[in-house]
Order: sequence, then C-alpha cells, then structure tokens
Amino acid sequence: MDWNFLFVIALNGVIYGSFLLLPTLGLSLVFGLARIVNFAHGQLYALGAYLAASLMRTIGAFWPAVIVAALFMVLFAVAVERVTIAPIRNRSDIYTLLVTFGLGLMIVGGIEQYWGTAAVLVPTPVALQDTVTILGNEYPAYRLVAAALSLTVAAAVFAVVQWTPVGLRIRAVADDVEMAGAIGINTRWLMTVVFGAAAGLAALAGGLGSPIFTVNLGMGSSILLDSFLAVILGGLGNLPGSAIGAFIVALAKNIGGGYLSDWSIAVIFGAVGLMLIVRPRGVLGRGRVA
Amino acid sequence: MVDEIAPAPKSAALSRETASWLLFVLGAAALLTFPLFGAGEFTITLLTEGLILGIWAMSLDLLVGFTGLVTFGHAAGFGLGAYAAGYFAQHVSSEFLLVLAVSETVVASVALVAGFVVSRISGVAFAIVTLAISQVLLQIGVAWLSVTGGMDGLIGVPLPKLFGVTVESGKSLYLMVAVILVLVYLALLRLTNSPFGRTLQAIRLSEQRAAAIGINVHLHKWLVFVISWLVAGIAGTLLVFMKAGTTPMVFNWYESGYVLAVTIFGGLGTLLGPMIGAIVVTFLHDQVISLFTAWQFVFGLAFVLAVIFFPTGLAGVAIRIWSRWWNTRS
Repeated sequence: MDWNFLFVIALNGVIYGSFLLLPTLGLSLVFGLARIVNFAHGQLYALGAYLAASLMRTIGAFWPAVIVAALFMVLFAVAVERVTIAPIRNRSDIYTLLVTFGLGLMIVGGIEQYWGTAAVLVPTPVALQDTVTILGNEYPAYRLVAAALSLTVAAAVFAVVQWTPVGLRIRAVADDVEMAGAIGINTRWLMTVVFGAAAGLAALAGGLGSPIFTVNLGMGSSILLDSFLAVILGGLGNLPGSAIGAFIVALAKNIGGGYLSDWSIAVIFGAVGLMLIVRPRGVLGRGRVA
Repeated sequence: MVDEIAPAPKSAALSRETASWLLFVLGAAALLTFPLFGAGEFTITLLTEGLILGIWAMSLDLLVGFTGLVTFGHAAGFGLGAYAAGYFAQHVSSEFLLVLAVSETVVASVALVAGFVVSRISGVAFAIVTLAISQVLLQIGVAWLSVTGGMDGLIGVPLPKLFGVTVESGKSLYLMVAVILVLVYLALLRLTNSPFGRTLQAIRLSEQRAAAIGINVHLHKWLVFVISWLVAGIAGTLLVFMKAGTTPMVFNWYESGYVLAVTIFGGLGTLLGPMIGAIVVTFLHDQVISLFTAWQFVFGLAFVLAVIFFPTGLAGVAIRIWSRWWNTRS
C-alpha cells in the first residue's frame, strides 16, 4: 500500500472538508431555524465565487475582493429572502423548497448569461504561491492558509451561535418557533438575517476556494449535493453533526475517488440514503427528523 | 335513443361529465391528427419531445399531486427506462413492445427495492433520499463503462420497430408517442379515480389519519412509487428512441427538478395540467432559447412566480376561468 498517496488524498480531503464546512453550516443553520431546505444554497456559493473573481480583476486585489463579494452576497440574499421566501412562510415547507430551487435556476442562468459557460481561472495570491513540504510532499501553501481561514470562520460561527445574544435567539427559534415568538423574538427578521449570513458564509467559501477549485457553472450544484450529504449525515439542523458530516463526505469523496474512481460517489450517496433511513437523526443522533 | 328525447339538464345544455368527455375526444383527436395539417418537421419533433415530457410529468403528478410526495429524484425511473431500452434495442432487438417489456422489468425491479426503502419516509427526507438514489444511478451510469458507455452514454440506438415495421422518426414516431400518451392518460385517470387513487389522496392529506382509519400507508406509498417509476420508464423508453441515445446526465437532479417544475407549472393533481404544461414549457423553451442564452433564468423566474402566485398552476387558472364562465351561463 502506498501510504504517501493515501496521505496526500487524505490531506486534500481535509482541505476540501474545511471549505465544505462553511456552506454546510449555513445550510444546517437555515434548516434548523426555518425548516428551509435551501436548494439555491449551492448557487449562492457559486455566485460568490464568480463575483470575487470579477472583483479581483477590477480592483486587482485578492482578499478585499473575496470579502466584498461575501458581504454583497449577504445583502443579496437578504433581499431575495424578503421578496420570495418571507411571503410564503405560512405555506407548507415544500413550497419554500420549490421556490429556492427556482431561485437556484435563476442564479445559474444569470451566471451563464453574464460570465458564459467557460470556467474562470483565478490566480493564487502572489504572497502564497509557494509550496511547503509536508512529510516529503510539496503542498501548495495557499491551500493550507485558506483552509485554516475557513476553519477559523467556522469556529466563529459556532462561537456566535453558542455565546452571543443573537446565537441565543437562533437556538431559541430553532427549538420552538412559536414559543420564541411569544417571548418577543422577531422570528421573521431573525430568519432573514440567518439566511443572509448563510449566503455570506457560502460565498466566502466560494471566494476562498476560487484559486483551488475552478470557478465553473457546475460548482454550485456539486457543492450543494455534498452539503446535503453532510447535513443529512450530521442530522438536519445539528451544527456539530453537520461539521462532522462535512469532513466525512470530503474524506470519503477524496479517498474513495483515489481508489474507486467513479464508483465512489455512488457508494457515498447510497450510504447516506440508507443513513437517513436507519439513523434519521444523524451520526450524533441529535438532529431533527426531516 | 332514449337519451335524445330525455329532457336536457336543468341549466346547461350539456352535463359537465359529457362536456369533459367531449373535450377529451376533441383533444385526443387533435393530438393524433395534428401531423396531417402540414406541421413542419421541426414542430413535430418539438411536439414529440413535449409529449414525452408530458408522460413523464403525469407520472410525477401521481407521486406529488395525488400522494403528496415531493421528489427531486424522478429522473431515476425515466433514465433507467431510457438506459434499459437503449441497451436492449442496441444489442438484442428494437421491437418496441419487447423493448418496453424489458425496460419496464428493469425499472420495476429497481423501483421495488428503492420504493420499499423510501416508502418509510416523507416530506423533505423523501425529496432528498430520492435525489440521492437518482445520483447513485447517475454515478453508476458514469462508472459502469462496459454497459452504459460511461460519460458518452448510449449512442446510436436504432429506431423502434412495431411488429417488424420500422417506426420512422417524424410523423410516425410522433403518432406512436401520441397514442401512448392518450393510453397512459386514460390509465392514470382510471387509477386516480379508483379506490386506490382515493386512498393515495387520503395519504396526501394526512399520513397519520390515513393510518388511523386502517390504511396501510407504507404499502400504498410503495405501490404508487413503483407505478410512478413504471410510467416514467415508458417516457424514458420513448426518449431513448427519439434521441437515438442517452447520457448519464439524464439522471441529473436538475432534470428531476425540471420535470417537477413542469408538473407544478401545469397544475398538481390534475394529470391534464402537467401534460399541457409539458407541451407549453417545451415550446416556450424553444422560443426563449432563441432570444436569450439564459433559459434557466427565465424558467427559474417563471417557476418562482408560479409557486408564489399560482401554486395551482395552469390547470388551477383554467379551472377558475372555466367555472366562472360556466356559472355566468347557468
């Protein structure tokens, strides 16, 4: 067995997992709070990446472009939520799911119209173009830095949810919407804010990942499916579970892809499908039953 | 003869039932004779595609509209039918009825297993697990090179034969699809008005209450899942002949979302709505794509507006206009 090969694909898996973490947490937060399965989430991630790529070209700087794109996506998502999702809050959950699917189509269609079908190449920031040597393997430094940043942001999300007044409200609404409303929490606005924040997280991951993964039309759909798998594995609406799920999916995808090539994704999807049935509350057993 | 001298119903010259049958006969006749009226080759191809989408959408309506099970994986039965039919036609025989029997057997065997598993869940979980099933099939389509041809898919599927006579593409194929569409519609109409169909609607309204009055919810969901896949498989079989092949992308969850959108756009729980919706969307697609490249944007926008403002779809709007007209007349 070639341990070195295994090490490198596992490392790639961990890096991908760190990126997958942000959209997954967003998806999980939005589901936990509003019971919205956001089918547009992947496209928000994609749009963030495309915007960041274009901004980089205009202003010529990497980090500001990523941050501005993510902030813009927060505003964009807040507006979208107010206009399309808030008005149908009192209908069955499945309607919001359908609306988000339509929104996803609109975004991917808009991207195609504006940026075309060709993939956009994003250069790695100049300061981080070197490689570092890990156990004898040359590894791009940017990947490590970007993954570390992504993990930091994810940790911040946990901290906000756990220790701030907003986080307290988020947990209260996730626990019981009506009760939370009764004690004076503005649940509607909280949902809007969380929807926006989730979009911002996704867009941040999109921007940070843009030099590593190509920016292309299929990226949104692909990350959405992976986030779904992660969220289901972790138990819907359960944040720590989702985080574990993101790494399971990322590692399984990379290691499985290294040995089983095309069959690996079939195996993962099959396993997750079964998981949802035999253990519907996720790996930690603390999520919600969808 | 008694009918003719019997007094007409109180208010209207025709009873509602007769009127709808008359409409059905007119519609079916129009559908079947359409190619005779000098429609161009392109229009006929487009309409054939619309009708196939219509069969597929009706099969989904059974699941979503009648039983209340929203799925983002309905491409599975469709694609499975397409692959099984295409493979059999390429390697054994393209005799249509034989191909159909084989592809339906394949679809049924997978649907029986998948349906057994997913009939235990509903709601969002059902939508996502069925999506996962369809993605598994997509990946198998990509990975199982020797049978599926990998990413290239099946290429060069021969035209179907009907009792030894090749069904040419164009008008002949159109007619075959149209006849099958009418048969499928009648069968589904019969099914949804049967006690079985009523039971499905009870399950849609509330699984718990349905179970409480003694309905075997699990069994009914399993059965309707299999039936729905079988009908989707018919559509897939027709598609593989029409396109002379298929790629793994037929299983893509966007395809599932597309047919779901078409079904909702047409009007859930009406059968006729999704069928007409499919034809309308197919033609709209053709028109819009010649104006913008971003067809998905326009389609997504139309879908979002439809879900927010007209959740009952085309059929709902039509019924509203129809009943208003009917009431003013009586």
